[in-house]
Amino acid sequence: MHPILKRRSRLVLYLAVWIVFGLLLTVVFIFGGRAPPLWSLYFSVPMAMLLGMQSLSYWYLVQSMPPGETPIVRMVISWVAAGLASLVAWLVLGYLWAQYLLEPGENYGDEAYGILGLMIFAGAIGISLAVLGHYLAGAFERSRNAERRALELQVLAREAELKSLRAQLDPHFLFNSLNSVAALIGNDTAAARQMCFLMAQFFRKSLTLGREQAIPLSEEVGLAQTFLAIERVRFGERLRSRFDIAEDVRDVSVPPLFLQPLVENAVHHGVAHLLEGGEVCVTARRRESFVELVVENPCDPDRPPSRGTGVGLVNVRSRVETLCGHRASVDVNATDENFRVSILLPYTGAAAALRATA
Amino acid sequence: MRVLIVDDETLARSIMREHLAKIPGIEIVGEAANGFEAVKLAEELNPELMFLDIQMPKLSGFEVLELIGDKAPAVIFTTAYDEFALRAFEVHAVDYLLKPVEPPRLAAAVERAAERLRNKTPAPSAHDLAVSARPPGRTLERILIRHEGRVHVLPLERIDFIEAQDDYLSFSCAGKRLRKQQTMSDLESQLDATRFVRIHRSFILNVERLARIDLYGKDSWLAILGDGTKLPMSRTGHAKLKDLIG
Repeated sequence: MHPILKRRSRLVLYLAVWIVFGLLLTVVFIFGGRAPPLWSLYFSVPMAMLLGMQSLSYWYLVQSMPPGETPIVRMVISWVAAGLASLVAWLVLGYLWAQYLLEPGENYGDEAYGILGLMIFAGAIGISLAVLGHYLAGAFERSRNAERRALELQVLAREAELKSLRAQLDPHFLFNSLNSVAALIGNDTAAARQMCFLMAQFFRKSLTLGREQAIPLSEEVGLAQTFLAIERVRFGERLRSRFDIAEDVRDVSVPPLFLQPLVENAVHHGVAHLLEGGEVCVTARRRESFVELVVENPCDPDRPPSRGTGVGLVNVRSRVETLCGHRASVDVNATDENFRVSILLPYTGAAAALRATA
Repeated sequence: MRVLIVDDETLARSIMREHLAKIPGIEIVGEAANGFEAVKLAEELNPELMFLDIQMPKLSGFEVLELIGDKAPAVIFTTAYDEFALRAFEVHAVDYLLKPVEPPRLAAAVERAAERLRNKTPAPSAHDLAVSARPPGRTLERILIRHEGRVHVLPLERIDFIEAQDDYLSFSCAGKRLRKQQTMSDLESQLDATRFVRIHRSFILNVERLARIDLYGKDSWLAILGDGTKLPMSRTGHAKLKDLIG
């Protein structure tokens, strides 16, 4: 949407500027072109507003040729061509408007050609100013968008942190784990001890990682593995897991706590509903200029519709999208018996975007 | 007292067994690791008391109770988190224990169960059990049916229509029929009224299966389903359906 057409107050202000331009043009015609005052006024103000309306279309050209990303030659050629086309159109419409302003039987004298020269001059100035103005507006808009994105990112990161805090305190997870410890103490003290270590490790890690802006993928994978190790004590043979993390993506920067909620969903909404259990499968590899992360788990076709599914997923999706824009994607592929989330992050972009917000 | 332990976690069962062993007069007759096993063992072993976990694969603890129905033993729920306490009392559970369970608390619950057995408190009605088997404020999402000793979990979207036959309901899905003892109005009250409409005294229709409506006589219509099945429709049924689909 055009930023000037977006709000009525902006459009009014924009037109007011062009009316002033029209009044200036009137003065130039009266004193420079010796035109009759009233005719000059009737002719110039509508012509100035017309130029203003024509100039609105420059916005789309500005958008298609962002400064800094477009070769300078292409920019100059495009603008000269667009400016000339715009100017010619304006002059033709100006001629028609001048003819319309004539009383029947009247004719313009030869001195009217002096006005044509002034028109070309004024039109060129008007168009140049409009282009410049649009570039300024574009820059302003971009910086505001960047600000908003940064703010959104902050909010989402905070949300994720809160959610992870809540996940650590997920009552089922916590109390069931404690129940497992209580059971193990009776007949397998070594395993009970191991379980305490795992829980301490999980809580400590998610507390520290949650405060970071970006962490290496290997750390996030480690957290997910600890989580699965704890759940495996509870679920036993029913919960199996497989990690396949390619060597060249281990150090890629990722938002913290974005894999763990997906793995948690895979356990609680997937494997936990299956009598025979199943395997949670996490893979990460490089695909050209992207890193592809996949979390996959079997699920029960007859499972009751679960409450609260998707909340973790929605959060992961919005964080990834805010972070990397269109270059990232989160795809969910759910069939009756299988649930698969795949995330594409730009291989370099992920790290760069994260560093920028840190 | 004959006791059955139902929990999908091995460790949870083992600690329960350990605690119960210290209470005199308890005989653990069996353990079930999921809802299906629980239903089967409850009937085979005829326990007097059942420790029942709520969140389990396939069937929840509440659904297990619904399937056992009138023959259900006294029940003590065990769960990690107390979001189900209210529903537990609706099904007249003897007690409601939070894991990890403290032994004195467990002993008290067992004592309550023994008292309940001495007084022979009547079992809750099947309707109460069915209602409690789903979360409050939500309509039914699946039907549990026991047929020839097997438990069928029937998601609502697979049902084409439901027909009343004496005191049974016959659930029709893709040409197959499954019967369950329940009344029409009881089921109707639990269904989502925007998806299932009682088009006739003896028929409830899954609205998604409706292909067209034919006029059959004065004040009577036929609902034609996608697979060609024809069902009679009463005047009120027709009005309800028209209200819904416009």
